[in-house]
Amino acid sequence: MSRTRSYGRKNLIISILFAVLIFILSIKLDPYNLGQVAVALMLFIGVLSIVLLTGASGQISLGQGALMAVGGFAAALAILNLGLSMWVAIILAVIAALLAGLLLGITAARLSGPYLAGTTLVIALAIPSLATRFESVFGGDVGLNINFGNPPAWLSSLMGSVGYEQWQLLATLPFAVLALFFTSNILSSRTGRSWRALRDNEIASSLNGINISQTKIFVFVISSGFAGLAGVLYGLRGIVGPSVYPISLSLMLLTGAVLGGIRSILGALIGSILVVFLPDVIDSIMKHFSPSEQVANYLPAMISSLLLILTVVLNPGGIAHGLHRTRRHL
Amino acid sequence: MEIFLSAIFSGTSRGAIYALAALGLVLVWRGAGVVNFAQMGQAMFTTYIASTLIGHHYSYWLAFIVALISGGILGAFVDLTVMRPLSRKRSSNFLDSPAMHSTIPVIASLGILGILQSGAGIFWAAEERGFPTPVNSLGLVIGGKTMPFTAFDLFVIGTVFITLVITTYFFKGTGMGLAMRASALNSEVARLSGIKIGSMRTLSWTISGVASSLAGLLVTPSANLSPSTLDLILIIGFTAAVVGGLDSLLGSVIGGFALGLLISFVNVYDTPEDIFLAILVVLLAVLLIRPQGLLGSKEVRRV
Repeated sequence: MSRTRSYGRKNLIISILFAVLIFILSIKLDPYNLGQVAVALMLFIGVLSIVLLTGASGQISLGQGALMAVGGFAAALAILNLGLSMWVAIILAVIAALLAGLLLGITAARLSGPYLAGTTLVIALAIPSLATRFESVFGGDVGLNINFGNPPAWLSSLMGSVGYEQWQLLATLPFAVLALFFTSNILSSRTGRSWRALRDNEIASSLNGINISQTKIFVFVISSGFAGLAGVLYGLRGIVGPSVYPISLSLMLLTGAVLGGIRSILGALIGSILVVFLPDVIDSIMKHFSPSEQVANYLPAMISSLLLILTVVLNPGGIAHGLHRTRRHL
Repeated sequence: MEIFLSAIFSGTSRGAIYALAALGLVLVWRGAGVVNFAQMGQAMFTTYIASTLIGHHYSYWLAFIVALISGGILGAFVDLTVMRPLSRKRSSNFLDSPAMHSTIPVIASLGILGILQSGAGIFWAAEERGFPTPVNSLGLVIGGKTMPFTAFDLFVIGTVFITLVITTYFFKGTGMGLAMRASALNSEVARLSGIKIGSMRTLSWTISGVASSLAGLLVTPSANLSPSTLDLILIIGFTAAVVGGLDSLLGSVIGGFALGLLISFVNVYDTPEDIFLAILVVLLAVLLIRPQGLLGSKEVRRV
């Protein structure tokens, strides 16, 4: 018990340090990079959903983008049709994603490995296509417009003028910190241990009294809640629509999770920073070689796919695994 | 009645292509224990090769043969460079558990898909281009009456039929096919009887590469060629393979035709926008009611 409590304190301290660090960044950076860091934080929440699902419990999902879309659309409908505030809409979006995760989990608990991958891939394609199917509700290909709005008066009076990108980052930050704190706690708790037991040996864990299908469904629900939260924040940047949550978004999350380290929270952070800033870095290097437009367009995808394969073959633990081989959590 | 018949014919011709895609997936799943999500990426790549040759005024048939051969080479290449090193790394603690063991190759195949798609984007630009058919693709006219199918439909069905006959003969009638079946059934016993397991795996990837390359060549005329056009065929092929049973060659072919008809009917009587939903419903229904598929062998669970 005392061991758990000391973990809890350590997780709290790390989360607060993380919040302070990002807050300092939010004052120093220029608007473009503020927006990029905000996206990285949103994707961080999404990548955490994969760390929980694939890293901790061994189930794969290629459909996290679809769950993000569920969150985004739920919030957009709540804001536009019910006139609710952004904060209430975010909570509703998470609830919607939790419910979607329950449905998905009930199906997915019976599947494993490639079956699960294929089914979630189909879901990733099918859910956004609903938006064009029921155009009058979901806004079709164009999508629905929602945004973070203006920063509240007290924040502006506290910090001077707050730009829109800075407000995006500051509004995303508390959710990212919450996600970080929640994930680190759940992974060092009894629940997290039962997930890892399930991943490593289903038979042994069921002999130890873990209800396999209930646990699998529970992981899916929690992971979907994270994805839904990431999705609503991602949509609040301006548009909620099928083009915002394409299949490549799901694959980007997976790439981030694997590159950073699929079993590590630090890895999730590294991975989400990597997938957001890698294209910028490649761009700034390629500028000196004045590449043709198609090379500039496709090179980032080429390099991140290459990194994905190299990671899987040479160092499946990802960057975080290389950083500290003796990890406490997993 | 006219509409119904035309739906049947176009469904059969589409279904033949889906059957090929499903066959390619099943071959690699049986032979190497991997569901290859990069499969239609490989097909897209080889179709671009064919398209480039045709663009340089070579004949369709030369391009056709070159695409099939490069499909086989690409399949073998994927196995030798990525999948074989992966399967050798069983000692790594990330591959210990069965859950991760089946997940890691899936992620690797998605990486290969990404490389093929971005590579095609870099080599052949992003603009979409058409792809020709070797025969007329207008409604066939017999005795002054326009039939509900085209010469190209007949070509597709004929080609797929020949491919299936050759594949069946290869597996049932040749020593090498027997060796492949043996190593798929029980790799340990096969190894003890002197079969080179690694070569058999590479051969599965090669044959699957040829089959999916053929599927790409046959399906592309009905859509424009772009790096991601064949993603849909992968989804359909996967669903077809699951419907038929992921480890049954015959099942995958039946599943392919069934899905072809289903999609054709959704297209004609409902709206094309519902295709994804229809696929999802079929996939979930099969997985929940009969997870082993129509002809698949039942997985033995020890719990």
